[in-house]
Amino acid sequence: MREIICILCPNGCHMKVANTKDKWVIKGNLCNKGRKFAIDEIKNPKRTVCSTVKTRYSKVPRLPVKTDDDIPKEYIFPLMKLINKIVIDKPMHSGEIIIEDVFKTGVNVITTSNLFYLLGIEKDG
Amino acid sequence: MKVKTYYDVVIIGAGPAGMAAGISCYDNKASTLIVEREERIGGILKQCIHDGFGVIEFKEKLTGPEYSERYIKIIKDKNIPIITKTFVLNVEKKGNFKLTLINPKEGIFNIETKALILANGCRERTQKQIFIHGSRPSGIFTAGTAQYFVNILGYLPCKRCVILGSGDIGLIMARRLTLEGANVIGVYEAKKHPSGLIRNISQCLNDYEIPIILSHTITKIIGDDRVKAVEISEVNEDMEPILGTEKIIECDGVILSVGLIPENEIAESLNIDIDKRTKGPIIDQNFMTSENGIFSCGNALHVNDLVDYVSESGRYAGLSAARYINDNYERKFISVEKSLKDFAYIVPQYIDIKSIKDKVIFYFRSMDIKENVKIYIKCGENIIFHKKYRYLRPPEMERIEINLDKELIKGEKSIEFIMMEG
Amino acid sequence: MNKTLTKIKKNIKKNINEDIECFKWHSSVVLEGEVDKWEDVILAGRLAANKGYKGVVNNIEVKGLNIPKIKSPLVNDNSLENRFVDILIIGGGVIGCSIARELSKWDCSVLLLEKEEDLAMHTSSRNDGMIHPGLVPKPGTKKAYFNVKGNKLYSKVTKELDVSFKRIGSLILLDKNYLKVTWPLIKRRAKLNKVKGVKLLSKKELIKKEPNISKGVVGAIYIPSTGVLSPYEMTLAYGENAVDNGVKISLNTIVESIEKIKDKIVSVKTNRGKVYPKLVINAAGVYADYIAEMAKDKFFTIHPRKGEIVLLDKKRGAFIESVLAKLDLSIKNSKTKGGGLVKTIEGNILVGPNAYEQPFKEDYITNKDTVDKMLNSHLEIIPKLSKSDVITYFAGTRAATYEEDFIVERSEYVKNLVYAAGIQSPGLASAPAIAREIKKISIDILKKQMNIKKKNYWNPKRKKGPKLNLLTLEERNKLIKERSEYGDIICRCEEISKGEIIDALNSKIPASSIDAIKRRTRAGMGRCQGGFCMPLITKIIKEEKKIDMTNITKKGKSSFILVEETKCSNKEGEN
Repeated sequence: MREIICILCPNGCHMKVANTKDKWVIKGNLCNKGRKFAIDEIKNPKRTVCSTVKTRYSKVPRLPVKTDDDIPKEYIFPLMKLINKIVIDKPMHSGEIIIEDVFKTGVNVITTSNLFYLLGIEKDG
Repeated sequence: MKVKTYYDVVIIGAGPAGMAAGISCYDNKASTLIVEREERIGGILKQCIHDGFGVIEFKEKLTGPEYSERYIKIIKDKNIPIITKTFVLNVEKKGNFKLTLINPKEGIFNIETKALILANGCRERTQKQIFIHGSRPSGIFTAGTAQYFVNILGYLPCKRCVILGSGDIGLIMARRLTLEGANVIGVYEAKKHPSGLIRNISQCLNDYEIPIILSHTITKIIGDDRVKAVEISEVNEDMEPILGTEKIIECDGVILSVGLIPENEIAESLNIDIDKRTKGPIIDQNFMTSENGIFSCGNALHVNDLVDYVSESGRYAGLSAARYINDNYERKFISVEKSLKDFAYIVPQYIDIKSIKDKVIFYFRSMDIKENVKIYIKCGENIIFHKKYRYLRPPEMERIEINLDKELIKGEKSIEFIMMEG
Repeated sequence: MNKTLTKIKKNIKKNINEDIECFKWHSSVVLEGEVDKWEDVILAGRLAANKGYKGVVNNIEVKGLNIPKIKSPLVNDNSLENRFVDILIIGGGVIGCSIARELSKWDCSVLLLEKEEDLAMHTSSRNDGMIHPGLVPKPGTKKAYFNVKGNKLYSKVTKELDVSFKRIGSLILLDKNYLKVTWPLIKRRAKLNKVKGVKLLSKKELIKKEPNISKGVVGAIYIPSTGVLSPYEMTLAYGENAVDNGVKISLNTIVESIEKIKDKIVSVKTNRGKVYPKLVINAAGVYADYIAEMAKDKFFTIHPRKGEIVLLDKKRGAFIESVLAKLDLSIKNSKTKGGGLVKTIEGNILVGPNAYEQPFKEDYITNKDTVDKMLNSHLEIIPKLSKSDVITYFAGTRAATYEEDFIVERSEYVKNLVYAAGIQSPGLASAPAIAREIKKISIDILKKQMNIKKKNYWNPKRKKGPKLNLLTLEERNKLIKERSEYGDIICRCEEISKGEIIDALNSKIPASSIDAIKRRTRAGMGRCQGGFCMPLITKIIKEEKKIDMTNITKKGKSSFILVEETKCSNKEGEN
């Protein structure tokens, strides 16, 4: 049996997870998402990674980014290496893809802020 | 934008509270101006690049910039007046409120307003405010300052650091610094329990094998130019260091996450009553302070752990301010009573029975960790609300929404919050 | 061995139970030996003091105690190599700088050396900023003489140098009725020291002046001439005006050795080259005895007496109007210092300083026990104050000799060396008077070597850059219209604009660190202690000085704010 804290929402449910004869027994979760999280957490724990990338703009030297879905935990540091190599050299909107399909997971790294806005280029908001 | 000399409502601060307040004022037909001291609006969310925001407001897990830019978009779409890089020098009550403002473009100028919403957030407690002694080298940062350096400017303030205090920003920064290549030796917390949310302990510390050491604090800073080491001591029940438990830990930085304090210099200058527990203004259910026409919301009111509630409080403060403009306002209070032993605080502290219209929202925190307790709200002999809680933890603010029957509370002097075991 | 020495030796043996070597050297008494604790070093020194010798050279060591070396600058260059000057001043505190300004009236070349990256980094920025009235020093001492004179001079000098100064007066509080018996003694002391206007106040009169005072206080002695100013603003103003009048200041410059031929200094070796001065003035503060030793003239020892100071939030500033201190019955004993509450020139309340002996000259560590004790004893003067009003605290060391008096004189044994040493409290208050005296001594010496006269033109005035929050709204508005950066508030707590920070970076003695900007502008001195503005200021320094962010320091040397840029250490990422 393992104890797992759900990180999906602020409730932070404290769950007890056991796997007996291929059947998952999960206690302590307040919702169904928690159940899925618990199973994932044992089989293949995943996380969303949030970081920043370099830009060539001195006014906004870093632009925030994130993975648009969870990636396996063991990819976090290899992904950081990729992220650290990126340099943004043109204004971008929030949600634009910067790295596609990281490590063939189908997950992309996207911007989470509007560089047009940060640079004061008054395009759309 | 041309700034006018009068607005029905002026909102100080364009973080999540101020933006929500501005939108709701505007939607309720009050002429509105939002004043922001920084160059860009969005408040502290600009540097909170991690996700987890908006689960309640947008039913999505957003990063700080994503959350704030959703509000920015609404403000821009509706063309709600906003001035940035503008600092409030003074507020005076002269019938209306007269604000003296300063910015690089206009210089010094005045604006009058009928209602004022204080949405100017909070600041971090410093090492001196928790009485850490020793030398004064560089390398000691509050977590928010470190976050600004890393996330906005792109610099590491330390490469091998100790984090003091387990507040959420400290935990978030432990993960962030680790991702950027720094070594976080451990998070030291003087209390017996973590101050931050459990899920942050899990995803920011446990994921990266960063230890959290409870009942320990920094008793001395060592180093002349840059921090070289800290002395850590165990603390007793009264949080006093235990002699003989000192340990020296070599490090090049100390990140402090030892609490946030509402910024209430403007409120204090207007002699508004301040709650000793929240360190923010005392308010009624309309988020109006002891001064008619002055409202408070967000982290300036009390320190929240979720931005969603910050936005909610802003929205209600905005709505109330817009109503205040049109109504002939006179208030009659009953107090919200509580046991100071059980509750760290409850907001609002008063109910204005004259203006009870619809639901009333309470935010509260328990004093200690409680398991299986019931919260009752009593009005005279009547129990008007009760709810069972599996857990109450001081780091997690709770929210209660009730319909207060105007007739029921007529003649009562107070309503009372009661916490009971079992 | 003569009688006095035998007596001193016996007395020390009696008190600390150690055999200490006592001998006469030049006109001083030298102590040598080893003891168990620092307190014994101090006690031995005190027992030898004022027994007919010029000074006590206390070389007693503590077993196992390692006194760290003087902290040196990291710079090494030749910028001063082969520099010939008429006068070399060692030390950029308020004493060195006030002397520099006085000497700048004369037609001679003056070079001032300071080992730190800025002026006023040690005792001159680590004190309470009080301009003492001169009541406490024993009549007839140099302290009494220079303090009263210096206090008077401040009215003029602060005006000339555009330094904020207020005579807020001080109140010695009497918390027991019987303490009023001290009044005739104090009155007599005031008369002897020529301190004017001293009055005994009744409880009613006191409450009128200080309405928030504790109910337990029954009366007070009022001294109107007590003033307050910012000690580092004062030092910088002296420095800037001196520079304006031709004085050269070399920062990050430490004296490494002094070369003498017979009884004259010929050269002074520094980390930036060798300087050849006609005359040397030793204003090296806690290190004045080190400099003396380099000139083989150590006739006194400085024992650093630490003092801790606490600052309270400006919000509480209105609770007092003057300097408040409880009557200390050891008033005759100039070694103790009780401190009190001081309404600073900026409007904060300052608590302290306390005073205790410890061996390290540059140890500015604050200690919980001593700070707590001080807070407990002083905050009760104003019951409305509490520990939660504290925004910061810091420590300094006083350059005390065992004689506990100033040394303001020409060396007995080195012909071209002048001392402004042992300048402890009330050193700041005495500075203008000490500077005048040192000028007189120095010019007299120089006159024998060269033809020297007063300059035809000397500019007594210095104008400080605008401090916007001190101006009227109209004045402020006008300045912003001229330069919009004055309307860009960077430090929220103290309302300091970007323009003022840029001014500090470009001033006559330019700031180059975060703390140097803080001393010039007050940015970062408020309740958030720089939490919000420090990153912004770092950025401004980068832009103005065109230096890399990682080279910006808190206070010079290796006190770097940042370690490295993110996303750059990854070698694979570079091409």
